[in-house]
Amino acid sequence: MSNQRVSRRQFLNYTLTGVGGFMAAGMLMPMVRFAIDPVLTAEAGGDYISTGTSIDELSDVPTRVDFSYEQKDAWYTSEVTQTAWVYLDENQEVVALNPTCKHLGCTVNWEGRESDPNRFFCPCHNGLYEKSGKNVPGTPPTAPLDMFETRVSDDGILQLGQVVPNTIA
Amino acid sequence: MHRGKGMKFVGDSRVPANRKPNIPKDYSEFPGKTEAFWPNFLLKEWLVGAVFLIGFLSLTVAHEPPLEKIADPTDAGYIPLPDWYFLFLYQLLKYDFASGPYNVIGAFVIPGIAFGALLLAPFIDRGPARRPGKRPLATGFMLLGVAATIFLTWESVAYHDWETQRSQGEIVAEVEVNTEAEGYAIYEQQGCINCHGENLEGGAGPALADTGLSAEEIAEIAVNGQGDMPAGLFEGSDEELQQLAEYLTDPAAE
Amino acid sequence: MLNKIYDWVDERLDITPMWRDIADHEVPEHVNPAHHFSAFVYCFGGLTFFVTVIQILSGMFLTMYYVPDIENAWRSVYYLQNEVAFGVIVRGMHHWGASLVIVMMFLHTLRVFFTGSYKKPRELNWVVGVLIFFVMLGLGFTGYLLPWDMKALFATKVGIEIAAATPLIGEQIRTLLAGDPNILGAQTLTRFFAIHVFFLPGALLGLMAAHFIMIRKQGISGPL
Repeated sequence: MSNQRVSRRQFLNYTLTGVGGFMAAGMLMPMVRFAIDPVLTAEAGGDYISTGTSIDELSDVPTRVDFSYEQKDAWYTSEVTQTAWVYLDENQEVVALNPTCKHLGCTVNWEGRESDPNRFFCPCHNGLYEKSGKNVPGTPPTAPLDMFETRVSDDGILQLGQVVPNTIA
Repeated sequence: MHRGKGMKFVGDSRVPANRKPNIPKDYSEFPGKTEAFWPNFLLKEWLVGAVFLIGFLSLTVAHEPPLEKIADPTDAGYIPLPDWYFLFLYQLLKYDFASGPYNVIGAFVIPGIAFGALLLAPFIDRGPARRPGKRPLATGFMLLGVAATIFLTWESVAYHDWETQRSQGEIVAEVEVNTEAEGYAIYEQQGCINCHGENLEGGAGPALADTGLSAEEIAEIAVNGQGDMPAGLFEGSDEELQQLAEYLTDPAAE
Repeated sequence: MLNKIYDWVDERLDITPMWRDIADHEVPEHVNPAHHFSAFVYCFGGLTFFVTVIQILSGMFLTMYYVPDIENAWRSVYYLQNEVAFGVIVRGMHHWGASLVIVMMFLHTLRVFFTGSYKKPRELNWVVGVLIFFVMLGLGFTGYLLPWDMKALFATKVGIEIAAATPLIGEQIRTLLAGDPNILGAQTLTRFFAIHVFFLPGALLGLMAAHFIMIRKQGISGPL
């Protein structure tokens, strides 16, 4: 077998790989783009949702505020209810914490365990957070509770926006 | 293949220890212009495939896959049609000798014989001859079958009312219809609802939700008919007619 | 580098013979379009396989969005076609590909028939091929219902009525297909989905494997 034949076969193999790659790409490109679309779709800018709670009702003790909004999940639209723990800080600024535990996503409660006053408690793995949302060292959570963006409407009704990382803890 | 005594294996496995060289067979000594499948012939096949793929993708870009409105089992006026490759069978059932009391013939006997013969072709056409001209019976029946299939498909396509199907299947925006209104009661009572649908979405007749016609024009059509709609369907008083026509100009109004 | 990995695997699993067995076979002159242009008729089988691969891939991707449920099936199809990037293309590939498979298979069948390639010793391969044809028609029939639009529902009604005309066991067949003796609805859709996505493709893969193994075993039929 001469050298020339081997190089010819190599050439054919390279061309074959190229054509095969072209076909695979032509087939798969639309499909993969189709599949990863949710990742690439920019998150819809957060609208503020009215909670129906007036800020006059708030104090420096976290209160549970339930609010619901219409959620559009592709072809499925539903009314979902969410909860926030809301209080006024020293400067009378509204703080709204997301009750989703940063450990494994359970829901935390203010003073959920009698032995831990003035703390958020997560019943799943006994996680604890300070009032600011700061996680208590030595308990499972590794990060402070997330916050909601807050806004107060002209007539004094609390409005909540996107969930953002905690900035005060 | 080397067998028996003296064979060495990898570890305690049954994989032979001596490797076989990864070299393609040499076909140069074969008679004729025989070619290796890999990579020589496969390359040509894939080139054809690549051209085919380009054409296919162009087709998908140029023609959106059709989607009609969501299925509504209560819409009895819809003219159904199977996908095109079942049309020959669908058309066969329209002929007198293959429908009604003879439905079994159209639905089973004829297709059964045709597909059965296709399935068992090698056992029916057993002679050694391969050229189509040397086996006239097999060739003849196959040509007859193909011609019949094409003919039936053609007949079915020509017979089908594509325009009506298009308008019947069209996706219509959901409209708010005030079913509490007086006008709706008349719409129901006069039987308009049977053809134009509960939500004015249409059915055997066109959708009435957003016709853009004036009250006078609607009243005129309700009394005198239009297209397939005969005259005299409306049997109420003039006052009711007025109410109905006004209602249909804006069915969402409270 | 690649060669080293290959040798490493080959030492453990002896894959060279398997892969040489796939790669090393001769392609005779009379089916090679490079020598006789008319030999392009021998391409239809390969193209059928190619479209089948497209169908399987695009189908797998479509099920990422599709739900087989009468409330949501149409909505999810509408969503994936109009809201998701390249949804039109992917659904288009599956939709038009379904027609192309039938066309290519029809042409392939005619080629095999008119070249008399089904004659001894290839009878069994012909039978398997016709069974593949039936499975493909079944896939077309069940897939037509899945978008749950007007034509899907009513065409399936007609199809099931035809099946119900079977002598003696017509009613049972209707119930078996539709999931209910009278209603063509929720249960029909899930049934058709299961048949379209699991049962028939399973049968198809088995039959295609048999088809290809037989071709390799017997070789391509000789020139006329």
